[in-house]
Amino acid sequence: MEKQEPQRANLLQGTLDMLVLRTLLYGPAHGHQIGKHIQRTTNDFLQMQHGSLYPALHRLEERDWVTSKWETGPDSNREFKYYRLTEKGRKQLVVEESQWKQMAEAVARVMWPAAEES
Amino acid sequence: MRWWLSRKRDADLERELRSDLELEEEELRERGLSPKEAHYAALRAFGNPTLIREQTREAWGWTALERFLQDLRYALRHLRRSPGFTLIAVLILALGIGAVTSVFSVVNGVLLKPFSFRDPDRLVVMREAVDDAATGRTAIPNNYRHFLRLKNGAATIEDAAIFSQTGLSVSSNGDHPRIVGAIMASPNLFHVLGVEPMLGRGFVEADAKKGSDNVVLLSYEGWQAFFAGDPKAVGRTLRIGGQPITILGVLPPGMRFPQIALAPKTAFQEMAHDALLFVPLAPSERDLTADMGNFNYKAIARLKPDVSLAQASAELDAMQKAYTISAHLPLHFGIALTPLTKDVASGISGALWLLLAAVGAVLLIACVNLANLQLARAVNAERETAVRAALGASRAQLVRSRLTESLLLALMGGAAGAGLAFAGVRLLIFLVPANVPRLDEVHVNAPVLLFAAGISMVAAITFGILPALRSLRVPPRAALQANSARTANTQEGRRTRSLMVATQVACTVVLLIVTSLALRSFSHLLHQNRGFDASHVTVAQVDLFAPQYDDSLPNVKAVKLAFVDRALAALRQLPGVQSVAITSVAPLTGETWVDNITRPDHPVPAGKEPMINVRWINPDYLPTMQSQLVAGRNFTAADRANPYVALISERAAREGFPGEDPIGRKIINIVPDDKHPITVIGVVADARINGLKDDAAMVYMPHWAFTPWVLSFLVRSSQPSDALIPEMQRAIWQIDPQVAIPLLKSMDDQVNDSVATDRFQAIVLTSFGAAALLLALLGVYGVLSYSVSLRRQEFGVRIALGSGKGALVRLVLRQAAYPVLFGAGIGMVMALAALRWVRSLLYQTPVMDPFAIGFSVVLLLAAAAIAAVVPAHRAASIDPMKALRTE
Repeated sequence: MEKQEPQRANLLQGTLDMLVLRTLLYGPAHGHQIGKHIQRTTNDFLQMQHGSLYPALHRLEERDWVTSKWETGPDSNREFKYYRLTEKGRKQLVVEESQWKQMAEAVARVMWPAAEES
Repeated sequence: MRWWLSRKRDADLERELRSDLELEEEELRERGLSPKEAHYAALRAFGNPTLIREQTREAWGWTALERFLQDLRYALRHLRRSPGFTLIAVLILALGIGAVTSVFSVVNGVLLKPFSFRDPDRLVVMREAVDDAATGRTAIPNNYRHFLRLKNGAATIEDAAIFSQTGLSVSSNGDHPRIVGAIMASPNLFHVLGVEPMLGRGFVEADAKKGSDNVVLLSYEGWQAFFAGDPKAVGRTLRIGGQPITILGVLPPGMRFPQIALAPKTAFQEMAHDALLFVPLAPSERDLTADMGNFNYKAIARLKPDVSLAQASAELDAMQKAYTISAHLPLHFGIALTPLTKDVASGISGALWLLLAAVGAVLLIACVNLANLQLARAVNAERETAVRAALGASRAQLVRSRLTESLLLALMGGAAGAGLAFAGVRLLIFLVPANVPRLDEVHVNAPVLLFAAGISMVAAITFGILPALRSLRVPPRAALQANSARTANTQEGRRTRSLMVATQVACTVVLLIVTSLALRSFSHLLHQNRGFDASHVTVAQVDLFAPQYDDSLPNVKAVKLAFVDRALAALRQLPGVQSVAITSVAPLTGETWVDNITRPDHPVPAGKEPMINVRWINPDYLPTMQSQLVAGRNFTAADRANPYVALISERAAREGFPGEDPIGRKIINIVPDDKHPITVIGVVADARINGLKDDAAMVYMPHWAFTPWVLSFLVRSSQPSDALIPEMQRAIWQIDPQVAIPLLKSMDDQVNDSVATDRFQAIVLTSFGAAALLLALLGVYGVLSYSVSLRRQEFGVRIALGSGKGALVRLVLRQAAYPVLFGAGIGMVMALAALRWVRSLLYQTPVMDPFAIGFSVVLLLAAAAIAAVVPAHRAASIDPMKALRTE
């Protein structure tokens, strides 16, 4: 039996910011953790190179939606750069979430009109 | 972004990436991969670290500056590789920008810069205007009584002052007196202008009463000239017209009183000297009562805030018209207002704007030349561009880096040009006629430098945009593979080059046509029939402003006549003198002493009498000026007993005595305060003695009937003026050391000075036209030789296949001919539009002058042909073997 190659999608521009913010809602995390978390939660559907995370993180920091600090990890004595959600970032997440919802609903209405009627 | 901060950020990012990468590697090793495998797998999962770093920096948002610096470094490196091109480009730009900046600083100082008065925008020059069905509306000076009514009644003006400009004879330390510019003004003049004296006090109403008006305010320059800036000058006296006058105060240094013409037709020369003295104007009985005549004053008004020029004009004009009707005045009077800045510059503004436009066209032509050079360089650098594009440079980056190069060139050229402008302004001031107002305010200052910077940017975009866009269209694969000469010689490249040649040619044709018209106009002005001969004549103006010639003395007339007789006799004794004449007004100083021909035998409605200029002369005037008597006889010594005789000019005869013989007719009211009828005894040929452009009608009367206080001696002599001038001065001051001699020079100089504006226009336009022609020649040559070099192989093949040299020369010439002829055609069409604006600056020269237009086009075509012959010849002498081997 042939192994099925899992379907993969590229992230939509701007969606990454929302995903990062959402991930940080659980608590502070460093870049590697955030990347791993997004990949794991989507069952590797959202495939991304970890590298693309850093421009996004720095962009969010530039906008004061997250702050960063070098801290020692819980199970090692190495220092990692931990990102934390700010109050402004929390509000932004709500905004982006609702925008995303509206967009998804709109797309759904076009794609599956029958489901809407029944 | 500060440098150390960006360093810290970079280090921070580096550390973050490394720590996360190590963690990934660790996890992979824990899953059982070998350290080496783990290292590569981690890198794969991570992506290209350089790209991440770039993109992250992008997110920091400070890269615009860094990018610009990078572009700048790149452009510098690029330019350093071709120092010859860089030098030429900077030189062309420096000359172009320097020329534009110099002309602009004159335009700025003379036309644009506001006066240093309070709210100068609200100041307007007020004149009366006469409406006449035949001649339209003519602005004339103000009548005192009319002015008072308007000032007191108008709701749109805050205040208004009335004044006249004059020369006063000032003698300090017992020297011969000199004539100094002075303003006689109503006491509120400085209130209207918003200027306070810096020492002493200003005028009050009481100063403007006959008897208490012997006070004077000094301008800062006057204070320096007469009291060397002594702070105790206030309260001391200055001898003016032989009388001691008390100094009331001194005006601040920035206060320069603008030169305002009495009426548009008065020549500038009359006002050549700045006002150093301000004296109160005490109105005479006649000023306060006369409604007609006595139009002797200038007026300046300050509009109320938020009142527009149109509103004030409408109100004052309506008031004046209503008064004309209610007081049954014989003429239709109105009021004309002009903003102060505009009025002061009205004589020169057209010429200056024309020069700015012309020098702008020269800069445009220079920019097109540079664009052409840049384009050739862009094509040569095409491989490099292609490599950069292949390595991932975005289109924006490519355009930016080429534009940065142009910008860098323009900034270097602009900086050098601004430096040149300091010298250029000095050269222009040397060339500009001395009577142009506000010349002392012309400097290279902050607004001018800002303009230079702006014009450099515009130039950079003008010559940089085409080559920059060109690099967008380079398909990397083709450029890398093909030989660059072939990519460059596309249809499109050829079209661009032809378009640039056509643009240059069109601008040059316009400039050449305007220049040749200006030269024609100037030449016509100098060579037309003047009706007099200036050569070998020297003119000395003498002002009798001394107590012994005072108006109130009973025998003043005899005293003045005695002075004139002695002066004439003394001047006749000088070596080489053929004849000596007097006239009341120095030649070429504009229309003055304007009066009417009033005929008792043929009354016409008041205000409809023909206008004439009156001159008081002696019998030697006609032979000295070599003016022709057309009919009748000249004055003779016998007329002294009964001086009521007049000579009139042909035009005066035509207008005053249409269809009649004027000889023997009577006219009246020419001699002041004398109703005695005057007999016309002769007709004199029209002469342009008021100014070469002026053909006013004249009436000449013997000075025995009236001797004015200002008169000019004209001496015709075989001696050169330089030798005669000191002799004349000595002779006049021997008779009376108390008289002033404000003007003493050869008549040729007087003629030349009177056309200074036209000469300036002609000289500067000619140099701009020559520059444009040279640039166009270089442009055609550059484009053609470049295209010949691109087609070397093609020509080689043609020769190898048996094409003759003549055929190749014709091929290249034909290629040059299309854009040149096309451009010349466009240029002629553009000239049609431009000439409508130029018409007013030309003197009796039809703008559709076939000679000027034909000459310009032929000159340009000849230049283009010369420019094309060299490349054409080069194309024909290509060695086919060599050309084909370079493939």
